Order: sequence, then C-alpha cells, then structure tokens
Amino acid sequence: MAENGSVQGATIYAVEEYSVHEEPYYLPIGDEVQLFETAYRQRIPVLLKGPTGAGKTRFVEYMAYRLGRPMMKISSRTGEEVEHRMPLITVACHEDLTASDLVGRYLLDTDGTRWVDGPLTRAVKVGAICYLDEVVEARKDTTVLIHPLTDYRRLLPIEKLGQVIEAAEGFLLVISYNPGYQSALKDLKHSTRQRFIAIEFNYPPREAEAQIIAHESGCDERTAMDLARLGEKVRNLKEHGLGEGVSTRLLVYAGRLIAEGIPPRRACQVAITWALTDDSEVQRSIEEVVTSIFE
Amino acid sequence: MSIVTELLARHQERLSGFPAPLGQQFEAGLRSLAGRLTPSQLQAWAETGMELTALSLRSWEAAVEYFKAGSAYPPQATWDTIETVGRDALQMAAESAPLAVAFLRAAPAAIGTVGPGNVHAWAELGRRLYKGNWKSSSLAAQFYEVTPELFRVLRIGQASRLIIFVDELARHSYELASACLAAAPAVLGRLEEDDRLPFVTFATELAQSSWADSRLYFDRGVPLLEKVHAPLRERFLLLAAQSARGHHQRSAFQYFEDAANALGELEPTDHQQVIMLAEQLAPYSPFAAMDFLTVMPTVLGRIRIDELEAWQQAGLRILQTSTEGGEAYFRLQSTRAEDILENLSARVELSRVGEVLRLYCKALTGRNVSIQTAESLAEKGIGWVDEHRASTDGTTIFLPELMERFPSKDDNFAAMKVFATHQAAHIEFGSFTFEFDRPGAIFPTRRHAFMRDRERPATTDMEAFFDLFPDRQLASDLFTIAEDARIDARVKDEYGGIRRQLVRMQAEELERRPPVEALPLRNAFVENLVRASLDGFHLVRWPRDRADTMSRALGILAAVQRPGATVEDAAEAALALYELAISIPNILEDLDPADWDAVEPMEPGQAMPMDAAGEGGAQGSQAQLGGGAEGEEEYESPQEIDFRGDFKPELVDLLMKLRENAQGGQAGQQQTMPLTPEQLAELLAKSVEIDLDAMDEGDLDASTGMFLSNLMKEAGTPASEKGEQGGQPTSDNSTGEGEGEEPLKPVVTVYYYDEWDFRAQDYKPRWCAVKEAKLEEGDEGFYEKALHEHAGLVAQTRKQFELMKPEMFRKIKRLPDGEDFDLDSAIEWMVEKRAGANPTEKIYWRRNKIERDVAVAFLIDMSASTDEEINKRDKKYDDDDYDDDPRKYLSWWVSKRRQELTSPPKRIIDLEKESTVLLMTALETIGDQYGIYGFSGYGRDNVEFFVIKDFDETLDEKIKHRLDKITPIRSTRMGPAIRHATYKLMQTDAKVKILFLLSDGRPQDHGYGRDRTEKEYAIHDTKQALNEAKREGITPFALTVDRAGHDYLKTMCEDMGYEVVADIESLPSRLPTLYRRLTE
Repeated sequence: MAENGSVQGATIYAVEEYSVHEEPYYLPIGDEVQLFETAYRQRIPVLLKGPTGAGKTRFVEYMAYRLGRPMMKISSRTGEEVEHRMPLITVACHEDLTASDLVGRYLLDTDGTRWVDGPLTRAVKVGAICYLDEVVEARKDTTVLIHPLTDYRRLLPIEKLGQVIEAAEGFLLVISYNPGYQSALKDLKHSTRQRFIAIEFNYPPREAEAQIIAHESGCDERTAMDLARLGEKVRNLKEHGLGEGVSTRLLVYAGRLIAEGIPPRRACQVAITWALTDDSEVQRSIEEVVTSIFE
Repeated sequence: MSIVTELLARHQERLSGFPAPLGQQFEAGLRSLAGRLTPSQLQAWAETGMELTALSLRSWEAAVEYFKAGSAYPPQATWDTIETVGRDALQMAAESAPLAVAFLRAAPAAIGTVGPGNVHAWAELGRRLYKGNWKSSSLAAQFYEVTPELFRVLRIGQASRLIIFVDELARHSYELASACLAAAPAVLGRLEEDDRLPFVTFATELAQSSWADSRLYFDRGVPLLEKVHAPLRERFLLLAAQSARGHHQRSAFQYFEDAANALGELEPTDHQQVIMLAEQLAPYSPFAAMDFLTVMPTVLGRIRIDELEAWQQAGLRILQTSTEGGEAYFRLQSTRAEDILENLSARVELSRVGEVLRLYCKALTGRNVSIQTAESLAEKGIGWVDEHRASTDGTTIFLPELMERFPSKDDNFAAMKVFATHQAAHIEFGSFTFEFDRPGAIFPTRRHAFMRDRERPATTDMEAFFDLFPDRQLASDLFTIAEDARIDARVKDEYGGIRRQLVRMQAEELERRPPVEALPLRNAFVENLVRASLDGFHLVRWPRDRADTMSRALGILAAVQRPGATVEDAAEAALALYELAISIPNILEDLDPADWDAVEPMEPGQAMPMDAAGEGGAQGSQAQLGGGAEGEEEYESPQEIDFRGDFKPELVDLLMKLRENAQGGQAGQQQTMPLTPEQLAELLAKSVEIDLDAMDEGDLDASTGMFLSNLMKEAGTPASEKGEQGGQPTSDNSTGEGEGEEPLKPVVTVYYYDEWDFRAQDYKPRWCAVKEAKLEEGDEGFYEKALHEHAGLVAQTRKQFELMKPEMFRKIKRLPDGEDFDLDSAIEWMVEKRAGANPTEKIYWRRNKIERDVAVAFLIDMSASTDEEINKRDKKYDDDDYDDDPRKYLSWWVSKRRQELTSPPKRIIDLEKESTVLLMTALETIGDQYGIYGFSGYGRDNVEFFVIKDFDETLDEKIKHRLDKITPIRSTRMGPAIRHATYKLMQTDAKVKILFLLSDGRPQDHGYGRDRTEKEYAIHDTKQALNEAKREGITPFALTVDRAGHDYLKTMCEDMGYEVVADIESLPSRLPTLYRRLTE
C-alpha cells in the first residue's frame, strides 16, 4: 500500500505515512500547547477556533511534531528500522465533501471494483491525528462519522463494507472552524460542538506577531514591527468592507517580499491591500494606513 | 407783387373751406421760408401743402403741421430736405393723417438731430412701424415724438436696428413695444457707445424667441450688463444673442441673466479668458456657451483660471460629438464634467475623501469614529466655534471642508491626512482618558499636592486638574502644548510613513511663528515652548540671563516626547511648566536683540522637580500655585497651529461623561451620578475652552442655556453609527430617531442617486433624492380579508410552493465521482467492458444540494394611475356575457347591478395589494428573504420610497397594517426607485437576488424627460437602472398590467424578463406562479 516515492523532485507519501519531519516554528501565545498535550493524553477531541491565517494549521503541525517525540523506531515490513513519527492527516473540507470522501469508496478496477479507504479511515487505522480543516463547510452527513469517533466509543462505522473500526491508540480528531465569516446558517451544531474542547486562536499581540513575522520572513525587526503594527490597524477595519482582518500569513508574505528587496509600500500593496479586498475605497484607506506607517 | 402775396392769393379760396389756423400757418410758413427758397421752390412747397389738405377728410390737420414746420426748419435744412419732408408727409397722410401729423411735428427738430441727409431714412423708420391700424399708427407717432431723445444716443443705423426690434415686438404686443420704445433713450443712454448696437441686437433676438422677456431685459438688462467687464460687454451680448436664436426650454433672457450674474462673481480680469472660451463653444451650442459662463463661479472655485481651458477642451470634445452630452457637461449635470473637474482641481474636498479618511481613522484608532466637517461642529453650538479648524469630540473627527494650501492635489491630500492623523492620534493615544489619580509613566505625581478644598467633587477629571491653577488660560495653553508635543512625537514614532509630511508641516508652522523677541517675557516663554513642541528647539530665543528657566522648561517638554509618556505625564509637565511660567514676570524687558540667545534643553531628569510634593503634603500645608501679578502685560495665548487644530480636552471629557450618563441610563446601570445643570453652568463659566460670547451675541444667560441644551442633546444621542453603511448613496437623517416614548413622525432617510441622461450619454450626478420612510399603518382587516377572499388560491399557491422544498436535495446520476455506484450505469459499464467497448467512467451518483438562498425585493408602483377602476377599463367588454335575448335582459341587468353593489369596483392598486398578500404567504412558506416597497413621488427632489416590509423585518401585525396603506399617490419615477431597491438588495447576502417590479404603466414624472409627453428619457433611465441592477448580479423582472406595455417594455427590459398581464383579474394567481418560475 505504501506508495512512497519521488517524482521530479517532489516527495510523494501515502496519506497516513506523512508526518512532520522538521520542527515547525510556532510561537506559543498562551497555554495552548499544554492544553493540547493534555487533551491528547486524555484523547479528548480538539476544536480550534479562529480567523484564517492565525496559525491553526501550523499549531496542529507543531503539536503533531511535539507529540511524535521521542521518536519511536519501529521495523517496517522490509525489516529496516524506520523512524516513526506522529502521522498527521489533514483534510481541507469543502461544501461538497461527503461522508464517503472521508470513509472511502469503491473504485473501478480491471476486474470489478476495489475498496479504497478514505483519509479518515486511514487515520483511524494507523492512529494518526486527523485534522479536518474548516469542518463546517463539509456536508452534514459527515457528522454521522464524527459523532461515534469523538465520544467514548472511538468507533468508525463503514456502512458500505458493513464494518466498524475501533480507532487505533494514537488516533485523535482535531477540527477547526472560523466563526468569523461563516454565516449563521453554517454554524456548527451543538451536538457536534459539545464533543470537543475548544481552543481559541486570535491574532497574536503586536510584539509576538512581530517576532513571528521576523522569524518567518527573514525581514529585519523594525520592518517586522511595522508590519505587525499595520496588521493591528487593518484589523480595526474588520466588518467595514473587510470580512476578515489581515492574517499573520499575509503579513509574513509582505515581510518576505520586503526582505527580498521589494519596497515596503509596494510589498504591502500586493500582499495586503490588494489581497484583502476589491473595494477601491477600502483599498485606498488601507493604502493610507500603509503610507502612514512605511516610508 | 411778392411771391408770397401771390401764393396767398392763389390759394386763398382753397383754404377758406378749412378752419382758420390752416390759413394762418400757411401764411406764417410762407413768410418764414420766403427768405431761403426760390420762388419756384416756394411754390412747390405750397403746392405740396395744398395736396395734403386734399388727401382725406382729416388730412388738413397734417397740412397745418406742414405749414407750421415751414417756420420751424433749422438753418441747415436745405430745399432738398424740405422737399423730402413734404414728399414723405404726402405718402404718410395718404395712409394715416395722424401719422403724418406726428411726423411733421417732429420733423424740423429731427433735421437737426438726425442730420439733413438722413431725413428720409428717419421718416421710413416710423412708416415701417405703421401697419394700417390705430395702434400701429400711435406707435409710429410715438417714435417720431421720442426722436430728439433717441437720436441723442443713437445714430441712424443703430436706430433702424431698434425699430426692427420694436416692430418685432409690436407683432406680439403694442403695449410692450410702446413701453420699450419709451424706455429706449434712457436705457441706451446708460450704455457705452459701442455696446448699444449689440444690446439692441440681442433685444431683437429676444423679441423673436421669447418676446415677453423684453420688458425684463429693458428693466434689468443694463445693470446686469454692467457686471461684465466693460470691454467685453459687446462680445458677451453677441453670445447671448446667439443663444436666443435657438429654441430651448429656458428663455434667452434667463441665460443672459444667469451668465451675467455669474460673471459678476468673477474677477473682471478673468472675464477675457472666460468669454473667449465660451465663444469657442458657441458655434456648437450657444446654450453650452451660456451655461459655461453660468457655472464659472462654481468651476473657478475649484480650479485655477489657467486650468480652465483643459476642462473646457474636454467638454468641447464631447460637445462636438454630442450636443446633448456637451450641454449637460457645461451645465455640470454630468458625471464626466465632475470627474474631470475633480482631476484638474488641486484642492481636496472632504466630501470626496471623507470615507477613505474615516476608514483610515478607524484603522488607526480601532473605534467607529466618523468624519464630519468642522463647520458642522461649529453649528452644533457646543463650544467649538471655529469653522475651519480640525478638532475632535472624542467620537467624531472634524476636518476642514477644503484643503487648498498647496498647488498639487497629492500635497493637499497629504495635508488633510496629517490633520486627520493628529486628531486620530488624540483618540488613539488617549488624550481624553486623563485620570486625575493615575500616575504618569515618566514624571512623579505632584498634582495632588496642589489640591484645594472643594465645595463639591469635580465633574470631570480634566476639570479637577484645571481647577488647580489660578490662571486657567495659561494652564490650558501649557497643557495643550505638552499634550500636542507628546502626540506629535508618538505619531512620528509609530507612523514612520507620515513622519516626513508631519515634519514638513511643523517646519511650515515654524516659519509662521511671530517674532519671540517682541513679546512680553511670559508670552515669549510660552511661544518658545510652542516652537520646541514643533521640533524647533533651535529656534528658541530667550534672554541669556534667564536661560536656566527656559532650559529647564525645554527639558520637561523633551521628556514628554519620549515614547512611554502618557496624558498624565503631559499634565505633570503642564504643572511644572506652569510653575516656571508664573515665576517669569510678563513684562517687556528692554533688551538688545543680542541678549536673546538659543537655549539648550536641560537633561529631563534634572529638569523635573523630582520631589513629589515639595514642602507640602506631609506637613499638611498645601502647596500653592501662583497667578499673574499686578503691573504686568496681559497674558495672551500663543498663535494657533493649523494642523493641530482645536484641542478642547475639558469639553471632550465633559461630553464623554454626559454620553456615558445617557447610555448608562439606557442600559439601566447606575454607575454615575447625573449632572445637574448648575454643575454644568459652573463648569462652563470656569472653562477657558468655551467662549460663549463668540458663540452667540446676546445675553450670557440665554446663550448659556442654549449651550447647555445643545450639549445635552449632543450627549443624549449616543455616538451614532447611522449613515455608516457607506455605499454610494449618502444618507443623512433629516429627522432624528425618537426616544421611543411617543410615536413620532416616520423617520425619513434621504439617499441620492445619479440619473442617466441618454442624450448626453452620461449620468447626472446626485440628481434624484430618494426619501425612504416606513409606510403608515392602516386597518388591520385588510390582510385577513384578502386571504379570505382568495382562500382557494392561497391554499393552491402554498401547495405549489411547498412542493419546491424537497427539491433541495436532488440525486444526480452519471457522475465521474460520487457517493456510490449508480447500479444501472455500473451494469452498463460491465456489459460494455465485457463486450470490448470503451465504457464511460461516469457511473456514480451523488445527492446535489441545491440550497435555496433567495432574496427578493418587490417594488410596487403607487402612482396615481393605479387608481383606475378595473371595470371601467373593461367597459367595452361589459356586455359580453349578455346573450342578446331581450327577454332575459332585465334579469341580466338586475343581477349585474346587484353584483356591483355588493362588491365595490376594484382598482388596479387593490389587485396589486391582494397579489402581494398572496405572494407573501407563499414566500413565508418557502422561506425566501423578501422586502416589499412602494414608490411614488413628484419631481427629482422627492422620490418617495415606502417601506412596507424591509428585508430584516418579520411579517407581523405592523406590516399587515402597512399593507392596507398602499394607495395611489403621485408619479412614477422608476429609475431612482429601482436604484434604491438595488441598494437594499445589495445589503442582503443571498446568492440569488431578484428585483420584481410591479407597475401599471410606463415611467413618468415631472422633469423626467423634456416634457410630460416624452417617453424616451424616462424609459432609458429606467433601463439603465435595471442594467445597473443586473451588473450587480441581480435578476430584474418587470410585470405590468398595462396592455400597451409591450411597446416600451421591449426597450426597457431588452434582454431581461418581463411580462404583460393582459387580464388584470388574473394578477393574484399569476404573480406567485411567475415568481416560482423565476426562482426554480
């Protein structure tokens, strides 16, 4: 089943065999690391709330890496010693994502049909952290799967095969959702909600954000500070023509452009102003904030 | 026998038949002329006279005048002249004796004024006016009578033009012609020689196009013309004359008057250029030329005269391709004209950049600040008086309306931005959050040591602070300097990008400072601090022997500019500076300029008195702050600094306190004691920030009272978020929202929309005012009654709509990927595969979610025409059900009559209403968002938009009552109503947006087109409005009950959906069906 290989420089993994190799950079803002570790020990599913680009995904990666240490060495089928890290399966949910997309389906084969496990099934089997990003986007039938997996049962029923899989030891379901831009219609149901502990993510405070920007983009500290300041100011415009405040991710992009020698005002224009909105009036306003902060 | 006697004798007999004067005058004339005419000439003269007597019954009267003239001819009258007079008189007398009389009476004198050579021409002028009737004859006679005065100001050629004018006018009104003729000498006499002919030329054109205005022109023309720079009046009149030649809605005089008035507002030196540019337009459209002149005060208010040509050229290019477009351009009724003007103009208008700056300030402060003009703040009458200086009241930032101090737009905007940034920074960096008991971050807290016993606790912390100082003005000035210095420093620190502009502004301000050496010492001290606060430490000048004080003060100021400083530090700095200032006598010292020297600031640590309470506090005795002493110069506040604007911390603090009270009261929290009017009055009396005298002349008590009520009003309305929804329509609430205790007048919100002028192919900017208000509530019975009446239909409609629901999940087959195999397809696949064919891979099915996310705005025509009864419309079909059997006629008639009596005839509007009710029940079933609006109105300033149900309202009793009030009102200006409905729809977040227009005829309104009968303009504007909606992703649909609807709907809706309901009775069933089709 393992289809690890390398095609034209890109490394290909089977989903359950992917794990985070290098320590991702993550700057803890509060006690979220400790909370997550505890939740993992207790196998309590975790809900990450927060706006886009605030570091939810990075946090999960970071935690997967941390939880994978000390690395277990297990022998593979070929007898070689390979490193075992905490596998992390990430599924980005979209509005057409159905239960079968997660569980698996029959595929056609030369001689008939063949069952293929979906990402959730694989995670349950290998005991990975399964991270369903933007979970409210998915169709409602996915909740049927989530519920038995997230209480004491830890079961995944596979209707089409007539099977029930008991989750492997290491399995944990982590979901994320952004309360900001989803409309009231697409709120998370309470029966779902109340199966998770919720960790709230927000944009980091100015100094911390500056530190993150500096680290991630390689720009100088002063620029990083200015970018963080800009982020703070632009976020004040939320709900005024802007659905979301500027994410740390975008600030990092701007920082990278600046670090490579693009003039700061221009970098902010392409990475922040134009990326955020199409409304020319709001663009102009953001631009004025940019020109006030950057020379 | 002399020729005289001979002639007398010859005609004796003939004359005897006439009254005596004839003979007497004949003799007198003969005798008088005998000396200058030859006998044969004299004889000819006499013969002519005799001929005159014979012409008609009363022509002898002319003869009398003829003979009388004989003795009155001036010396320069030759025989030729006299003979001419005679010939002309003969001709005239043949037509009208009185005319000839008037002519002859005036002739002798006229020879002198007209010149002997022009006598015949002059005579002809009068004859031209004569048309064979009595009135014309007296008009002609009047001409001869005014000849002496007239020719004093006119030459013969000019006079002939005047006569053309009078003649033209006489075709319409003899009275008017006569009046103008009578006024002509005086009117023309007031003009310069060269302007008289053009004046008359324009008058002639005017008489042809709008003759009735001639009187106005003669009355007011000259003073109007005098507004035009003298050498250019002729050219101006020629332009005006050209505009009279065309036919237009406005009269030529109106154009003339407006343009002249407009020119009167300009500098005379600009007239040359302006008129020259107008002349270039005239060949294409003289109206455009006149309008161009008329809008000059507005245009030149925004651009410089040397930029004018660029604006005119852009308009000229439009004019050359489209007359309508060009004319609209020069009327300033075109968006392009505005845009080009805006681009050319270097000045920055707050109204244009306000929204950008509002978001900018919101970003900076993180609060919902609004931006308004400084003028509006001054108008509130709550303490701010200067209409041009920036300020803030803590929730709103007030900026000057215009910025035009630099020649480039960018610089002006940058200046505006610096203004805004400074005010925003006051909010961001906490200028208004001063707490008396909170220590600063840099300086030790000393203010408590100076507290004195109070009768009552201070209302605000700011008041408590200023109460420490005997000289409040000085304290206030020092605090302002310290706080502004702190704010500027913070801005420079936090906002690297704006630093440059700020530094530039500071430098400019520094250049404008008054010479410090000429000031009394204490004033000079404060002035130096101002300079230092503007980063002008190097410009501080101070008497060398007092350097220590100044150095210490500068050190304190420098400390306040350090990054961590808070408003409390600024207060401590003000306190320390006050002590220093008061120690300096405010006297003019007799010093040599050389004794004034630069001062180095002291190290802040040294500068500040570090000992918190001095000798006070601990020992119980209080520290004292001094005030000004006797025998000194009056202390005066330093000159203002423009970009920092008006800083009124005490007032803002009070206002915030009042607001807190107002809001706290509403929320039911009892956190603060309410303020008494006495407290307020006392505070006002003390504060130096309020100059009641400047606000209102009048007695102090009255203005204090007014001020208080204004202040309470301002505080009572919590910082409003109204009008913040932005968007293109600017909304201003003309009536505020009531407190809720009484049912007030409906709240009217005004929105402005552009209107499309298809001739100009351009929008008329902000042309229509849409007034939105909730419809009044009517009877409750209507809704239920309508439901009852159409019970069958209601049930049917509901069922239809309920059927739509399950369609939300639909199984879609033959997909390449899906939830599961579709067995049929899978079997097919297998079969084909086995058969060796190449089967399709599409063998999955999946449930596709069709989410219904619809918002619909119904726009109901409430024009007067919907009042029409339906039966009346159908009168001709009335007899259809009568089967021509005379025996049954009576019973048929009786039943028909009874039917009419039991149910009164329905009107179109009734059916519209009932259909709406039906649809509402349907919509409630299916759960779509919907709004129901009615529109009517009269004229562009008054498009009424009635809200029956807004999108965010739920169907309740109130709305059911409102439905009843849908009644025919006035006209149908569809365009703005559609635009406003579009705006409403855009506020919803539905995926599918529908605009459903329900009308009974074509769009029509006062001023919606050239005249009421013109259709194209209104139809095009409506079409454009529908197009705009479409561009926004809205599906428009028009439904009309007008049978002639196909004509215009084809143009109006082009590729959009529309339907004409031929049988109006079917509307209630048709409407829901249509809607269902539209959204399926």
